[in-house]
Amino acid sequence: MPLAQQSSSVPVVVDDDKCIADKGCTVCVDVCPLDVLRISDQTGKAFMKYDECWYCMPCEADCPTGAVSVHIPFLLR
Amino acid sequence: MDEITEGTSQVDCDILVIGGGTAGPMAAYKAKKKNPDAKVILLEKANVKRSGAISMGMDGLNNAVIPGHSTPEQYVKEITVANDGIVDQAAVLKYAENCYEIIQELDNFGIRFQKDENGDFDVKKVHHIGTYVLPMPNGDTVKKALYRQLKRARLLISNRYMATRLLTGKDGRIAGAIAVNTRNAEFLVVRAKAVILCMGAAGRLGLPTSGYLYGTYENAANSGDGYAMAYHAGAGLANLECFQINPLIKDYNGPACAYVAGPFGGYTANNEGMRFIECDYWSGQMMQEFYNELQSGKGPVFLKLNHLADETISEIETILHEVERPTRGRFQVNRHNDYRHGMIEMHISEIGFCSGHSASGVYVDDNACTTVPGLYAAGDMASVPHNYMLGAFTNGAVAGEHAVDFVNEVDFADIDEDFIAAEKKRVLAPTLRDDGIPPNQIEYKTRRLVNDYLQPPKVTRKMQLAQDRFAETREAMENEMAVTNAHELMRSLEVASIMDCADMAAFASLFRTESRWGLYHNRADYPERDNENWFCHSILSKDDAGQMTIRKKEVDPYVIPIDEDEKDAYDKQRIKAQA
Amino acid sequence: MSAFEPFEQFDEVEDIVDRLDDPDPGTRRVAVMDLADSADPSAVTYLKKALGDEAREVRLQVALALAEFDGPETADALVVAVVDEDAGVAQAAADSMAELKDPAAADPILPFVTHESAFVRAASLRALRELKRTESLKPALDAFSDEDATVRSEAISVVGYLKTEDALPALMSMLKDVEPAVRRTAAGALGFSVTTAAAEALAQSLTDSDWQVREIAAETLCKVQSTVAAPALRAALTDEYWQVRQKSIRSLGKLGVAEAVPEIIPSLDHDISNLRKEAAAALGEIEAPEAVPALEAHLDDPDPDVRKNIRWALGRIRSE
Repeated sequence: MPLAQQSSSVPVVVDDDKCIADKGCTVCVDVCPLDVLRISDQTGKAFMKYDECWYCMPCEADCPTGAVSVHIPFLLR
Repeated sequence: MDEITEGTSQVDCDILVIGGGTAGPMAAYKAKKKNPDAKVILLEKANVKRSGAISMGMDGLNNAVIPGHSTPEQYVKEITVANDGIVDQAAVLKYAENCYEIIQELDNFGIRFQKDENGDFDVKKVHHIGTYVLPMPNGDTVKKALYRQLKRARLLISNRYMATRLLTGKDGRIAGAIAVNTRNAEFLVVRAKAVILCMGAAGRLGLPTSGYLYGTYENAANSGDGYAMAYHAGAGLANLECFQINPLIKDYNGPACAYVAGPFGGYTANNEGMRFIECDYWSGQMMQEFYNELQSGKGPVFLKLNHLADETISEIETILHEVERPTRGRFQVNRHNDYRHGMIEMHISEIGFCSGHSASGVYVDDNACTTVPGLYAAGDMASVPHNYMLGAFTNGAVAGEHAVDFVNEVDFADIDEDFIAAEKKRVLAPTLRDDGIPPNQIEYKTRRLVNDYLQPPKVTRKMQLAQDRFAETREAMENEMAVTNAHELMRSLEVASIMDCADMAAFASLFRTESRWGLYHNRADYPERDNENWFCHSILSKDDAGQMTIRKKEVDPYVIPIDEDEKDAYDKQRIKAQA
Repeated sequence: MSAFEPFEQFDEVEDIVDRLDDPDPGTRRVAVMDLADSADPSAVTYLKKALGDEAREVRLQVALALAEFDGPETADALVVAVVDEDAGVAQAAADSMAELKDPAAADPILPFVTHESAFVRAASLRALRELKRTESLKPALDAFSDEDATVRSEAISVVGYLKTEDALPALMSMLKDVEPAVRRTAAGALGFSVTTAAAEALAQSLTDSDWQVREIAAETLCKVQSTVAAPALRAALTDEYWQVRQKSIRSLGKLGVAEAVPEIIPSLDHDISNLRKEAAAALGEIEAPEAVPALEAHLDDPDPDVRKNIRWALGRIRSE
């Protein structure tokens, strides 16, 4: 049974210029209750890897540099 | 990233607390405080810093029993009436007697409750009989303050471990739990003399009307794992047919929230801008009235604030948009909603299990003990009705303090290596398939079926059909589900919990052949309440043959008697206008 | 995997502090966050030192991190941060200061109540409020004549939390402040007193030019429990704001002012159902038999909450 790869617009957006994950910060990844954020091997910055967001906001609220913004997922916007 | 690796570790402890949301941290903290020598482990699927129902805080206490404003006796009566009498009062009374002390302790932790200009708790009257609402306009710091205490107490915290099954000894006593790491799929076996389950609601049972799997009323991490684990360990689960259904902002799936807006003069209205809810305390009856209005020509239902002064609305906005579900403000902006002008459309949530708002939970007595020796439960997943956040804190404390004494009396129960091997095999099965159905599709289908067939009003034939469809979907889950990484493996395990909860929801609902608790258990083909046959709890469990079974359990004799005229206090208020 | 420990490691402070000297401010910032996470009180000394960092983001992180600690040493560091040249750092420090719980933390803060910056004075008073130290009374009372309204409000709260009758005259005088926000705080702060003097002062505030002052005065009068304000509360039943009328009715009900019954009854016909609901409840509290015909006439009010209160009120009156 082959699997399809479909695009999905994700609600959490990270501003790479502000993100300090490459300095050792893991705050947003740590606080996500759904564990959907990761630090990219390529860029060293945080990003939303899984589209499983409760739009609860700790990632944005706790980010020390204001790099994270949470949008309402399109399906319920 | 998230690669599946092999490995198993084992640790021993006196008390294992599973779930780091609200009740769990308090249980662990209190156990450690009472006996600093006890080894207490707090296990959490996410990270204790921001996990659970209150990850982003809470905007108020809905059930604070504070001297001078209400009494424990009054509160027990209110809860008994709101639950149509099906209440073992001892646990409710214990909560009511202890919760003020817990509020004071939380205040000392730095959790901020609304105070008047004299530093006294600024309790608001929202309900008809008692006064229980204590706002928390700065409640966004709850988890932060709580976590700070856990760190200071140097508790052992295991983040990113999802418990999958409880271990029991040959004598039926609790022996520990098995967990799997959500980032690398390594196993952790914890031997424990007592286990406290604080794993939250079954909030991913119904599907939100938006269709977004994670757009749930409850924190979407609360997938009912505690209910499923308690079931498989042989514990009794009480009144699961008493579903949770809550009012919310349509589409947004966050509370509206009447408890915040109420003290300011805001209320729930129909399309004519009129109040319509007759029932006083939050209950299934209230939700039935909400549902009726939604379905009527006066529907849908709205949150009405536009009669309030500008200054008042600004104050409400600050609270609603910064605490508990702060994306609420963003949602309203997208929709061009302004509380000053229009009313805000509301709806009812998907169904779930949650004693925090209703009564469906793992059965516990007034010491938070389940029917399995050494196994405790507290918070949204334990059967103490309507206990909300403060109940999770208070009953978590009860569990922790009782368990720490219990472990002095016992040694480790023997653990069954065969069981552990079988469980590892079950957990890893989806990782061994090269292709198959991903967990999100199994989950979507299961929850869509829950909506189609289990949402009240409940119909016998529909629920039987649900059981057939669930069985087919379960077969796909067990034989065809495939995952590619450890994160997806966590989701596949959650799907198994959701499936178990769906089965239990149908089974328990079919058992009680009457209607009770308003919309929560509204059975279209048994529309009347039948006190003669059904003034009792239902207790669902897994029998020795591994089959689901259910029985009646008498309601414990009341500690606080309810007068005849109080029993129908709400009915009397519900007299319709003649005009 | 033999040394596997599945628990969160609370890093040792000594292992973190080296990174505070890293040339990269981002790395120093993360080190500060790790110090906060350590929950080890010995971190406070290092945090205080890091307040001398040249990078504002590092100092900001320190101000935030200090909220994780308590006691005089923490306060001692926070008073350094609260006078930081960067407004964001100072604000974060002010917020962290308000989290302090240990009464001993007041000592380093007290001298800052007279700081040259109004922001610092207000932040210091805000922190002192929750610490409830009697030594705060005198400086707070002195701040009643501060030129800055926020400072005056915070000072009133400090005094209000201490609940001392000696401060009553000073508190009452603040009901005449030029700023409505200050008068509101003062009205609320009088709630602890059960004296006639407090009731009389609040009664005068029922004619304040600001409706929210009038609302708080009406609400607070029910705590003060003196009927000396009854005539003023009755007069407030014609206030242009229904919110003020609502609170006045509630207080008249709680105080059991039977003379007010004829003046409350017309509110059973008001457009705003919140007011009708309050009127019905108050008539029940007062248990006034003469209200029965009016209550009965409104048994079919379209609002269920009003109907409930009317039934409750009638039940109470009839059971007498």
